Amino acid sequence: MPSWQDFQPFIITGLALGGVYALSGVGMVVLYRATGVLNLAFGAVGAMGALIAWEIVNNTTWPDGVGYLVCVLFGGVITLLYGVLFGPPLAARDALVKATATLGLALILLGAMSWIWSDKARSMVLPTTNWSYDLGTVLVNWTQILALLLGIVVTIGTGAFLRYTSLGTAMRALANDREITATLGVPVRRVEAAAWLGSGLISGAAGLLLSNLVGLDAATLTFLVISSLAAALIARLESITVTLIAGIVVGLVTALVTPFLSISQYRDMAPFVLAIVALLFLSRHRVVSVSRGAH
Amino acid sequence: MATTTRARPGLSLGRWSSGDAVRAGIITVLLLFVLIPLPGMLSSYWVDVLTSVTVYSIVALGLNLLMGRVGLVSLGQIAVLALGSWVAARIAFAGGLPFPIVLLGAGLGTMVLGTLVGLPALRLSGLYLALITLMLAGAITVALRTTNFPNGGPGFLGHTEDVRGNPAVRRPDIAVNDPAYLRYAIVVGIILFLLALWHVRGRPGRAWAAIRQSEPAALAAGVNITLYKLWAFALASFLTGVAGGLLAAHVGKLYTYQFSTQDSILLLAVVLMGGIYSLWGAIVAGLFMRFLPAVLDNWGLPADLLTILFGVGILQVLLTAPGGLSQQFPRDMKKLAGLIARAVRRPAAPERSE
Amino acid sequence: MIEVSELTVRFGGVTPIDGMSVEFPEGTCGLIGPNGAGKTTFFNVLSGFVRPSAGSIHAYGDDLLGIADYRRARWGLRRTFQTEQAIEELSVYDNVALAHEHSARSRGTRHEDVLGAIEFVGLEADPHTQVGVLGARERRLVEVARAVVGKPRVVLLDEPAAGLPDEETAHLGRVIKRIPEHMGALVILVDHDMSLVSACCSVTAVLDFGKLIASGPTAEVLRDEQVIKAYLGTEE
Repeated sequence: MPSWQDFQPFIITGLALGGVYALSGVGMVVLYRATGVLNLAFGAVGAMGALIAWEIVNNTTWPDGVGYLVCVLFGGVITLLYGVLFGPPLAARDALVKATATLGLALILLGAMSWIWSDKARSMVLPTTNWSYDLGTVLVNWTQILALLLGIVVTIGTGAFLRYTSLGTAMRALANDREITATLGVPVRRVEAAAWLGSGLISGAAGLLLSNLVGLDAATLTFLVISSLAAALIARLESITVTLIAGIVVGLVTALVTPFLSISQYRDMAPFVLAIVALLFLSRHRVVSVSRGAH
Repeated sequence: MATTTRARPGLSLGRWSSGDAVRAGIITVLLLFVLIPLPGMLSSYWVDVLTSVTVYSIVALGLNLLMGRVGLVSLGQIAVLALGSWVAARIAFAGGLPFPIVLLGAGLGTMVLGTLVGLPALRLSGLYLALITLMLAGAITVALRTTNFPNGGPGFLGHTEDVRGNPAVRRPDIAVNDPAYLRYAIVVGIILFLLALWHVRGRPGRAWAAIRQSEPAALAAGVNITLYKLWAFALASFLTGVAGGLLAAHVGKLYTYQFSTQDSILLLAVVLMGGIYSLWGAIVAGLFMRFLPAVLDNWGLPADLLTILFGVGILQVLLTAPGGLSQQFPRDMKKLAGLIARAVRRPAAPERSE
Repeated sequence: MIEVSELTVRFGGVTPIDGMSVEFPEGTCGLIGPNGAGKTTFFNVLSGFVRPSAGSIHAYGDDLLGIADYRRARWGLRRTFQTEQAIEELSVYDNVALAHEHSARSRGTRHEDVLGAIEFVGLEADPHTQVGVLGARERRLVEVARAVVGKPRVVLLDEPAAGLPDEETAHLGRVIKRIPEHMGALVILVDHDMSLVSACCSVTAVLDFGKLIASGPTAEVLRDEQVIKAYLGTEE
């Protein structure tokens, strides 16, 4: 049994990763509630943004900050573009079709990333990583703190936004009942666009953080979306508070498995296992699906 | 998935119209051509490619059945393929069993695993089912990264890091060289295709059609929905497992990087593009997945272009033709025939691994 | 004969069926009531899609609610739906065969049973035709054929004439009337077309707000003041 000392660095990394999972999870949940689209390209968008940032930081003379900003903005713009182009025509289809369509976006991005950047090993070091705290037995850097903080702040901020602003209320109305909301004169397309943009910005930020915390590799970052997905699913794609908690739990569990040497090789399974458990728990009441008819 | 109304001949009744007879005739001729002279005519590079096409067409057939017949989306079929390869390798290295037994074992083993997994998953539907297949595939991939594939080593996992001697999964004695193995694979493919056809035209096919359109109507007609969904899962897993066996003997040595998560999504894309309402779509899918990259490689173009193309393909299919491109099948076939003709005439590219 | 006893269905704060007790004797029985009265919910209970909170249903002596939903077809329960649900992708023959092969009938009689059912409903289309290309009237008939093939014991028809012109409705009425005699089944017909109900059904039950407000010979029930009030609403 590993000692408390052994656990400490993993608690830190776990919390940091958890913060990002929570951040991404919230982005996905809000988008899903507002548009019915579970964006499985969430990770790919962040990955590409991070690669663009890397390009700017390493291969141009522009200040690093520009790169980070571009990463976040890229996330927002690409996601918004997708939402505006492919949201309306698919709006009437079921959630599975909408989510599958986002896989199309994921492939396009994965192909583009592989083409432009290929699989060379890269790393991204945010300036915040260089500032660290010494907590006695373990080192914490500011990127990790930022990751956790951002997760918490965005969750609270989003919650407040949804409750207290008119745009947020419109989003909640859309999530509740799309058709009625449209008849109330709410500009549905604009509200949806806001949701797409917001979640896109979040994916850019998450991509940037993950590229530092985990590594800058297109495939890895793209499929890390699964951990965020696990958090969102535990929250039943509904509550962002639960998403926050779930994200942190997923991050912690994944990290804390590491010191147990016998199963540490399987630690990457943790988000999958948690997601599977969440899904099975969600489905414990069997429901006969409503007749879709053929029309 | 939404269904469309198309004037297609109704399934079953085994009655053959003249149109059916002509089609069957053409298909038989094509098959005989592909089976007998073609493997001898091609360079070893293209023989390798076509064997790969055969394997992935079978995998695509499994997904085609799941999506087109029962409306279930699986995002993890490549992980199932890996399982099939694992089981096949395990059986192959366990003793001198004849190859058909290895294939059958791979199919049955994967079927059992697929069904066990499918059982709880089937309470979910639509999006959640797709997600759980993604999760399960991810878990299997992680496990495989650690256990690796059997390669003659000791114990249940049968894997050893000691690569001296380096045994490969053995091919059947009657089909050791590449062209012979291609023929073998095609024959297996034909058998599996017929198995799928037999299902689709019979009782399971009717039940699946009912389930896809309206579960209440299916229930009211007496269809045990869980059973038939499970049956579809089992069939798709069996097909994919056998394909895994074929793949194992094709490449000889198995590595986890050959079964990436991205491939599962690419498979989804090509199956959609090939068309999910006709079993032929699976062959188109196999060609997209393994033939086109070889062609592009031949022309010096990056395979990433195809990844992007397939991404666009998913969007196009979902936006416009929910039935997949099977309606445009004849048109695409002509284009493909042209591509094949041109590619075969070009000088062969150097040997490349899977 | 079907005995419904104190049937109650409750969900989400609504009580679509409230202490319903009624007997459906042999032959064709009507079940009418204003919109929202609970008729389709009742059918859904019979089909097994909805679990009642209380009450029981006994059909031909068997406890229907104790049988699993998909097994009720094998027992002999068939139904059609408000929005017609003939399977578009299959041929006419296959649609009817679908119901037959999941019933208790043997495979040997399938071919003649299926063709017999198609003929019985007066469907003239080629059995190999894909249902998707057929018109509304023929699709309805396919659904009805599916409901009567083999030897069903209970046939539930949920607004089979909805959206059909008078002539088709009359034809449908003639078909429905013959079901008990030719197929040996008990028919429960839900519809808003009173002429259809009067023509086919010897007895009728009336539901309003989930409660049974009248039952008996059709002609009497249709003249009953309470029934008329339920349909027209009361003037305050």
